[in-house]
Amino acid sequence: MDDLRYMEMPVDQDTKISASNVQVYYGDNQAIKDVNVEIADKTVTAFIGPSGCGKSTFLRCLNRMNDTIDICRVEGTIKIDGDDIYDSAVDPVQLRAKVGMVFQKPNPFPKSIYDNVAYGPKVHGLAKSKADLDVIVEKALRRGAIWDEVKDRLHAPGTGLSGGQQQRLCIARAVATEPEVLLMDEPCSALDPIATAQVEELIDELRQSYSLVIVTHSMQQAARVSQRTAFFHLGNLVEFGDTSQIFTNPQDSRTESYITGRIG
Amino acid sequence: MTDASNAAPLREKKSLLAVDARTKKRNAAEARFKMYGIIAITLGLLFLAVLITTIISRGTGAFAQTFISVPVELREDKLDKKGNRNLEDIKKVSTFGYNPLLGDALSAVILEGGFTTEITKSKELRKLLSSSAVGQMRAYVIENTDQIGQTVTFDFFASSRVDGYIKGRVTREDLARDKNLSAEHLDLVDQMIEAGVVRKKFNPSFIFGADASESRPEQAGLGVSMLGSLFMMLVVLFLALPIGVAASIYLEEFAPKNRLTDLIEVNISNLAAVPSIVFGILGLAFFIQFCGGYLGIAAMKASAPLVGGLVLTLMTLPTIIISTRAALKAVPPSIRDAALGVGASKMQTVFHHVLPLAAPGILTGTIIGLAQALGETAPLLLIGMVGYIASNYPDSVLSGFTDPNSAMPAQIFEWAKRADPAFYERAWGGIIILLVFLMTMNIIAILLRRRFERRW
Repeated sequence: MDDLRYMEMPVDQDTKISASNVQVYYGDNQAIKDVNVEIADKTVTAFIGPSGCGKSTFLRCLNRMNDTIDICRVEGTIKIDGDDIYDSAVDPVQLRAKVGMVFQKPNPFPKSIYDNVAYGPKVHGLAKSKADLDVIVEKALRRGAIWDEVKDRLHAPGTGLSGGQQQRLCIARAVATEPEVLLMDEPCSALDPIATAQVEELIDELRQSYSLVIVTHSMQQAARVSQRTAFFHLGNLVEFGDTSQIFTNPQDSRTESYITGRIG
Repeated sequence: MTDASNAAPLREKKSLLAVDARTKKRNAAEARFKMYGIIAITLGLLFLAVLITTIISRGTGAFAQTFISVPVELREDKLDKKGNRNLEDIKKVSTFGYNPLLGDALSAVILEGGFTTEITKSKELRKLLSSSAVGQMRAYVIENTDQIGQTVTFDFFASSRVDGYIKGRVTREDLARDKNLSAEHLDLVDQMIEAGVVRKKFNPSFIFGADASESRPEQAGLGVSMLGSLFMMLVVLFLALPIGVAASIYLEEFAPKNRLTDLIEVNISNLAAVPSIVFGILGLAFFIQFCGGYLGIAAMKASAPLVGGLVLTLMTLPTIIISTRAALKAVPPSIRDAALGVGASKMQTVFHHVLPLAAPGILTGTIIGLAQALGETAPLLLIGMVGYIASNYPDSVLSGFTDPNSAMPAQIFEWAKRADPAFYERAWGGIIILLVFLMTMNIIAILLRRRFERRW
């Protein structure tokens, strides 16, 4: 862990997301127990923890993707910019425009690269004309750091790209709707080290404009890209703090055991 | 760890080149299993070959028919006594009025050809020809009144016995007990064949023509019942496809998973296994007796392709729903996540992403459902489409749906149960046409699947 970029990062941003007393149940199973967390704006927050600890579940609560699972039930409050996202007045469709998501497995639509990126803006009516849309697509692809690789074949199928390119395309697709928060569920787990490095670099750049939340199994990755880290264990949020503090001076013995490789 | 390494080895050390008894046994079992598989497939192919050769050898005969060309003098004194070509007067001459002309014409053919025969009576001579011959003449005269007084050469169907003789179905011995035709007729036919008056040729009216009464197998065709099937398939396509796809999308993507939807699901699966004749009696009770009789909806009457189509729709729906749901289930959930993740609504997700990916599966299921409906006979039995003699073309597209008609499989069944062996041959021929339709539909299904199939 000789990459100590995080040491230079100041962490005193405004709170973007605040969750209090969040409980998530799958049927009778409680997957998340009483989680309180405040996620800052323009910061990368990493969720780490062993498999099945609930970090992905919690991430999916933040843009209500858990709504699609019938047996899933969420209690407590999650506020984004002060608005309770589980309020009955909130339409999940609008929420998801504000809170974008990148998934573990790259999942481009089986359509052209252009259509992949243009879909979100089209659905939300962000483009008034074809020319507008072209501008949005180019901007998103540049942000996804994939523009140079695909600019000559925008109408080739997105599924024909390599794994790393597909994932950056998915990131471009997510940023095309101009979200304020970007959730990433193990975005590099299906990628090789080179593609991983590219995506991590991208995450670092995106931090300038978004609040990012990333779930990862790689502690090195959490240390490299995040400023804040949350450690989940068996549905509990065990420890939450500055990444530097979590990795150098964990307060909880479980956190220490996990980052030193004794549990997990 | 230490325990395991100290224990005696379970397997003795042996050369890899020596095959042990256990391995031999396993290999033998595998070889036996492969053999069973090959035997099963060979048997299947054998039966298929037998089926296809039988159908082709027995059915192809129906596509060719024996014709006798006869020059007939359309005598004005018989057909238009007043001589003013008034259509009403000409129509008053019934087919009986044409009999003498035909008898005279046949006598003339014999005289000109120099054929020797004992048969002289007009009535006996006419037995060579189908009884449809006079009808054919009358229809021609009504169409072409200016031809009265001229001599016109007609290609008449030979009677089914003569046709059977030429196709080898009827022999002289058979005719000893037959009052329709005698061996004497066949001697005459032999001479006529040599002179080229009697010829066997392709008969398009078998494919496109109407069905005929039981005494005129040579005239019967599948055309009208083919139209009946077409109209039924249109009803099925335009009802079963939208209803089935909408029901499956709702059940698969929107419906909550609870006892009620589970019950519906189980019932749909069960409906697919309900014998088709049950749907037939449902159609009789509901569409014909309730809608047609009690509510008095005129279009809902027995033998109408509309009713047949509705019954087949009920029968096809479960097939379409099951295959559509399977196709929707096969779309990877990651695609749904991706669409929802960028903020598409549930409906946009389904219609923009899931449905296009499921389309090849849905189309295949629909076409296979249609093919199944096309070949279905039993439910038509109860709504009166089997047994209906489809002898008239519908007047318009609308009446195509509501006028009584038959359907291809019903027509084949009807022919197969008639007494004259000439109809039996037509039943086989009808099967060939039906199979050609089914094969075409299946090929279209395969092509569509290839065309729209995409990888994800």
